[in-house]
Amino acid sequence: MNTVVCLKQVPDTETLIKIAGTGIATDGIKWVISPYDEFAVEEALKMKEKMKAGNVTIVSLGPDRAIESIRTALAMGADTAVHVNDAAYYEKADPFATAAALAAAVKGLEYDAVFLGKQAMDDDSGQVPAMLGELLGIPVVTQVIKIEVADDKSKASVTREVEGGHALLDVSLPAVFSAQKGLNEPRYASLPGIMKAKKKPVDVKKAADLGVSDGPKTVVKELSLPPARQAGRIIQGDDAKAKAAALAKALHDEVKII
Amino acid sequence: MHGPQAEISREIFWNIVGPGFPVEQVLLYILVVGAILLFVRGLVKSGFVTRLKVAFEATGSDVERVNDPWSRLWYTLVDIFAHRKILKEPYQGAFHFFIFYGFLALLITTIIVFLQADVIWPIWRVWFMKDGFYLGLSLFADIFGLLAIIGVLMALARRYFFKPKWLDEKGEDNVILWYILAILVTGFIIEALRIQATEVNPASPMNPYIWFSPVGRTVAFIFAGMSEVALRDTHKVLWWVHVLGALGFIIYIAYSKLIHILMTPVNIFLRPDTDQPPIRTMPPEMFETAESFGIHNVEEFSWKDFLDNEACMRCGRCVEVCPAFNTDKPLLPRDVIQDIRSYVNQKAQIALDPNGTYQVLADDQYTGPALIGDGISKDTIWACTTCMGCVDACPAYILQFPKLIDLRRYLVMMESDFPAEVLDVFKGMENNSNPWGIGAHTRADWAKGLDVPIMAEKGEAEYLFYVGCAGAFDDLNKKVAISLVKLFKLAGLDFAILGTEEGCCGDSAKKIGNEYLYQALATANIEVFKSYNVKKIITLCPHGYNTLKHDYKELGGNFQVFHYTEILDTLIKKGKIQLKHPIENLGTITLHDSCYLGRYNKIYDQPRTLLKALKSGSLVEMEDHHAKSFCCGAGGGRMWMEETLGTRINQKRTQEALDAGAKTVCTACPFCYTMISDGIKELELEDKLQAIDIAQLVVRAAGLDDKIPKAAESGEPKQEEATE
Ligand code: SF4
Ligand code: SF4
Repeated sequence: MNTVVCLKQVPDTETLIKIAGTGIATDGIKWVISPYDEFAVEEALKMKEKMKAGNVTIVSLGPDRAIESIRTALAMGADTAVHVNDAAYYEKADPFATAAALAAAVKGLEYDAVFLGKQAMDDDSGQVPAMLGELLGIPVVTQVIKIEVADDKSKASVTREVEGGHALLDVSLPAVFSAQKGLNEPRYASLPGIMKAKKKPVDVKKAADLGVSDGPKTVVKELSLPPARQAGRIIQGDDAKAKAAALAKALHDEVKII
Repeated sequence: MHGPQAEISREIFWNIVGPGFPVEQVLLYILVVGAILLFVRGLVKSGFVTRLKVAFEATGSDVERVNDPWSRLWYTLVDIFAHRKILKEPYQGAFHFFIFYGFLALLITTIIVFLQADVIWPIWRVWFMKDGFYLGLSLFADIFGLLAIIGVLMALARRYFFKPKWLDEKGEDNVILWYILAILVTGFIIEALRIQATEVNPASPMNPYIWFSPVGRTVAFIFAGMSEVALRDTHKVLWWVHVLGALGFIIYIAYSKLIHILMTPVNIFLRPDTDQPPIRTMPPEMFETAESFGIHNVEEFSWKDFLDNEACMRCGRCVEVCPAFNTDKPLLPRDVIQDIRSYVNQKAQIALDPNGTYQVLADDQYTGPALIGDGISKDTIWACTTCMGCVDACPAYILQFPKLIDLRRYLVMMESDFPAEVLDVFKGMENNSNPWGIGAHTRADWAKGLDVPIMAEKGEAEYLFYVGCAGAFDDLNKKVAISLVKLFKLAGLDFAILGTEEGCCGDSAKKIGNEYLYQALATANIEVFKSYNVKKIITLCPHGYNTLKHDYKELGGNFQVFHYTEILDTLIKKGKIQLKHPIENLGTITLHDSCYLGRYNKIYDQPRTLLKALKSGSLVEMEDHHAKSFCCGAGGGRMWMEETLGTRINQKRTQEALDAGAKTVCTACPFCYTMISDGIKELELEDKLQAIDIAQLVVRAAGLDDKIPKAAESGEPKQEEATE
């Protein structure tokens, strides 16, 4: 079974984010594979191990630095990779432009399934999986927590998370699956894996090589940080009644939630 | 007749060798040669030689073992004859001492007798075994023989009446003791029979000196009524029983743990000449070239590891001190050694070809039991806290837990097989250079508002204060870091911290078996240290101390490293810090020795000196202290793993503090501090016991406080959890 995993390199979740214009300042950032995409990589590898055949190809859109995350996925066990290394395109890419570039790269590959995270940990838009399915003309199942592929690779039965419960559905292959937390526990790359990854083939392409020219359909106008957390405050009052009154007043006048 | 009938002496081979051709004497020579041959055959039969064959295939690297041979020899002799390590356990030390010296004395006596009877007399016709020398020898042999009997009885009593739970019980253990006892007792009986038949007679020239064989003389009273013929007949039979028994004993050495008589001294001679138990080095180049890391095939151990297996006499001292064993986890360091030994036997059965040559089989050819899993279970491998208790206790200088690290390395680096909790720890170290995975940019937040000099601003300083992850990120231990910088400033020390340029020391990664990650962390730190021309480093954490001081050397980092207890001790002695303020409510204080300060680095005094300098509270020791201190349970990366098997190590240690009558437990290690604090909470002892780091007490006694300043409290809002 051949699979493709699309992954995005994002800042480590503990990074101190500093706004720079309509983006973030990238100095001093530790870059990692977006955690949901890591589930996607793991699922593809598991599937390959279970079927005992096939290739796992990583596809990523990102600047030079993205190669590190691609190598990490290769170290985990993926076989080959396509790196759409186009800083200019990436800078402006919105979810649609991202999906367009990924779709163009995936189209050239042989695959029975495409995996990716349900959303990237940085901009959290969550649109790429659906767009990718649309552009590839294949079904999409989002928020997947379990996948079982039929032996003949014609279909898969999938469990996806829905509000307050699970939905079980069958889908014909090839299809796009977006990974939700709980799908699996991503593995830790072994040392031989890391060493081998250095020699695995990575196909580097520009957006133009793939024939994608569609620009972004949305533009970020402003980016802002959440307000700094306030220190806690102890409500003062002579007795329980007075305190309750003071609390109600604060909630009404200051926080404006009642 | 053997020798002249000197007045004060005795006839050797009395009643055994008659006049004329000495048939019995010749027979004895033949038997001795036979016994030696059977001993050699025993080495083959018992698997010893087979195991050596496997040992010859060993490929693992090792440390220097024969440098400075004369001092090694001297050390070995002192160790053996002074029973330096053996006597650390008074009871078993004493009985070993008695048996050892008893046997040695009897061996020396036998050799003297042999020289007299079989060499000096036949060749030069000189008889020196007479008069004062003879009487002295007689007394000497009797007393030491008696000591040996007392030793054996003490050992038997332990096995039968108060057997410790860590003591191994194999058939040979009892057999050996009864066997030795039988040889000693028959020896005294034949002596007594001879005395009764000869010296008791008032006409004998020896009669006045009969008490120079006090034991023999006393036993002779039993035979007082026997006729000379009966005495002689019994003597003859028992003499042969005794001789054959003694020769059988030689053969038995090859088949039993008695082989330690030969192998343990060899192991002592070859001991590593460092105080730290050497963990196999992995040169950085290796990561580019090697195919496999860590150990999963037994041949990947070093020749010395194989020797360790042979030198272990199963005394169990390592088990007695092991915190994992003492909290019912499936780890007994003795069994690690013994299991590797039996695994070698087992594998040899499969891998020996018909010619008896040992074949090292490739992984895909070998289908027998696996070293990891079948030989040693994974639960065993992960249970170790690397407390070094086993290594420190072992009288044979065997390295038990470092072998477990080799196995961990294989599991981690080759198989990515480790307790699930550890994944985040590795990722935290990789991405944010701390095991919690807290944003690396917040590493110096604890120092906000304290005006702590930072290297990047200061350029250089006499001392680098290496705070370490716990001091930087853990709320409990930030107070220790704060106390220390306040004290250093008070003392006018020229120091600086690295702030966000500091990285994790890598100790946990190393001990968990992720040498690759450890080296990445260590190399990054060494580079930063060098860029500021750092010479002297003070660490807050004993793990950082040990790693920076010893392990970084392998990676080219040579620094003078101090633990803060050493620095504070000096500063107080120099009068730079004065402890004038009494601290309330300390009550009785006890010190929990950190493994990495104590056993690893022999820092036992400074923490105690500091506590005494407080002049508050009174100091008591727990049951286990100094070199026998009981681990808190957090070393070896156990800090980051769930403790699901057996009982909890930290609770056991906390209970020990309570039992010692302490109200305050002092620590000088962030891991210990955390573990004991948790122990107090888990056992709900908050109203009886408190844990605190020594630095916090010193800072209070100096009239300052350890409060976290307001500025350091309010960090930026934490981002949402990664994968929620
Ligand atoms: S390893 Fe050492 S301490 Fe442990 S049983 Fe063997 S000889 Fe004794
Ligand atoms: S290092 Fe400590 S925990 Fe590990 S085996 Fe030795 S005594 Fe037990």
